[in-house]
Amino acid sequence: MAAWVKGNAADKDAAVDAAATLLATAHTPVFAGLSAELAAIRAAYRLADRIGASLDPVAGDGLYAELGTIATGGALTTTAPETLGRADTVLVIGNRPWDGDLVAEIAKSKPVRGRAAGEERSVLSLGGPANGASRHVAYGVGNASLDVAIGHLRAFVRGNLAGEDAFGDLAKRLAAAKFGVVLFDAGEIGDAGTEMLLGLLKDLAETTRFFALPLADPFQGRAVTQLSAWTTGQAPRVGFGRHLPEHDPWCFDSDRQVAAGEVDAALWLSSLPSPRPNWLGSLPTVAIVGEGSADARPETAEIVITVGVPGSSIGGSVWNERRGVIGYVPASGQATADTAADVIADIAKKIEQKGASC
Amino acid sequence: MSILTLRSEPPERIDLLNITPLALSSLSHGDAAKLPVGTSRRGLTLGDVFAIKLDGSDSLVIEGGSSRLDRVGAALSEGTMRVEGDVGQRLGEGMAGGHLTVTGSAGPFAATGATGGTITIEGNAGDHAGGAVYAAKAGLDGATLIINGSAGDGLGDRMRRGIILVQKAGARAGQRMIAGTIVAGAVGDEPGYGMRRGTIVAGSHGALLPTFAETGTPDLVFLRLLARSLGPLGYKNLELLNGPMRRYSGDLATIGKGELFTPVG
Repeated sequence: MAAWVKGNAADKDAAVDAAATLLATAHTPVFAGLSAELAAIRAAYRLADRIGASLDPVAGDGLYAELGTIATGGALTTTAPETLGRADTVLVIGNRPWDGDLVAEIAKSKPVRGRAAGEERSVLSLGGPANGASRHVAYGVGNASLDVAIGHLRAFVRGNLAGEDAFGDLAKRLAAAKFGVVLFDAGEIGDAGTEMLLGLLKDLAETTRFFALPLADPFQGRAVTQLSAWTTGQAPRVGFGRHLPEHDPWCFDSDRQVAAGEVDAALWLSSLPSPRPNWLGSLPTVAIVGEGSADARPETAEIVITVGVPGSSIGGSVWNERRGVIGYVPASGQATADTAADVIADIAKKIEQKGASC
Repeated sequence: MSILTLRSEPPERIDLLNITPLALSSLSHGDAAKLPVGTSRRGLTLGDVFAIKLDGSDSLVIEGGSSRLDRVGAALSEGTMRVEGDVGQRLGEGMAGGHLTVTGSAGPFAATGATGGTITIEGNAGDHAGGAVYAAKAGLDGATLIINGSAGDGLGDRMRRGIILVQKAGARAGQRMIAGTIVAGAVGDEPGYGMRRGTIVAGSHGALLPTFAETGTPDLVFLRLLARSLGPLGYKNLELLNGPMRRYSGDLATIGKGELFTPVG
């Protein structure tokens, strides 16, 4: 394990002690990133509770685009295996779903069970790439944003607009599906677009079966959401300043907090790769980062502590997008590194020894 | 008239939920000073943040505002509150009655969930004024919100009842509106995205959604009655309700029972 304090190499104990001093004296600390294995995220919530910090995962904006809609109106969702096994019609919204392998896998296969078993699968795209390696029918959105295009399509599906244009054709294809799935990223289409899309699926579900397959963010946001829910009863952006978890997505948006000068110290947890916050150099920060990562260097923050990377140098529980659950990944070799959970627990212990008033 | 005078810019966000004339009227100066209002482990109290002068009346003035003062007037049910300066988020959240005035500007989610009374912002309002907070079923829910300056994006997002009067609003005014009325001198792009019912009257507007259909220029008594009912509120743009108006119906992506009126020509 490597560690640095104010740019100088330090041993683990010295770095943990410096981190404890920084966090214990802060009045309004924030814990950001939270791109890590579940044990580390759990330790971060415990420490935040202990010292009155607020938490904000790096996946926050995308998470809340979906969470707000689900909390308000619910969702009809499915999983990737169900999509591969049953869907005869798959609508891919925007560009983000094309980044992974799932669309190609969907395009190459046929439904094997359910009402559409053995039939050809139709892959449709709205606002995505017109050309690509995968076989699909692309519908452009012109200059419209994705959420406006989704609303426009929904007006055709509901029969409030009619005509022979592209959205009329797409609406007919969707209505003809036996088991349809819409693949999308809530962060890409936004909060209002997600609500419009889930409303579209409810409209389609009046006459056929249609489900949402929202993509998970790549930064453990879904694992954070589950852990936050069973730990605090709330979604991830919570603050413990008043010794109870208070949920407020606007108030505890770490970028906003830092920009408004409301934060006096930070802990950035990123044992798995995630984008650095823009404010990292402007605030006294403890950075707990994966060993060997680009951020494992003394300039990253005032205090930098490197830890094991789940699935590589340590084992840990992380989000499994394919299955849509939290699952354990073993270390790829002999587990040797300190874990982020142990480091955070050590910081908490040191803060307790210092007798900080919390 | 009771007076709270801000001692200095607060070091953290201050939560003024439950700081109302009614709540303070039964408290001694010492008890009022002990009310917790801080949101961090500093444990700030009302007396730490404000110099307090109480007279037991139904009128409260906050002298010296700050964008860190959250939920000002949130529990107001009667009486008057006046803030001489700015306020933070959720001004008048869930307010049930009375009069709440801010001479400066307000942060996001002003008047969210307010069911009664009148909220006046003499400066500007942030995003989602009269709009719903996370997971809430409704934004403005029966109160009257008057914004004499500009409002940000998402004005009246998911509002269910009540009236919003504003000089100028940003994009997507009336987004996901359930019902109610917005009258604006101007609104930005894509007003009424996802609106189900309700009325938006706008002197001018940005780009319209493809899911709003023009339904002609009806001469509606409703608009003249609306102008008459709004007269006592002192709104500056009422003349726009008296001229011929073009009506659009939408959002056709939903049940499409909302309407947007804008002057002909």
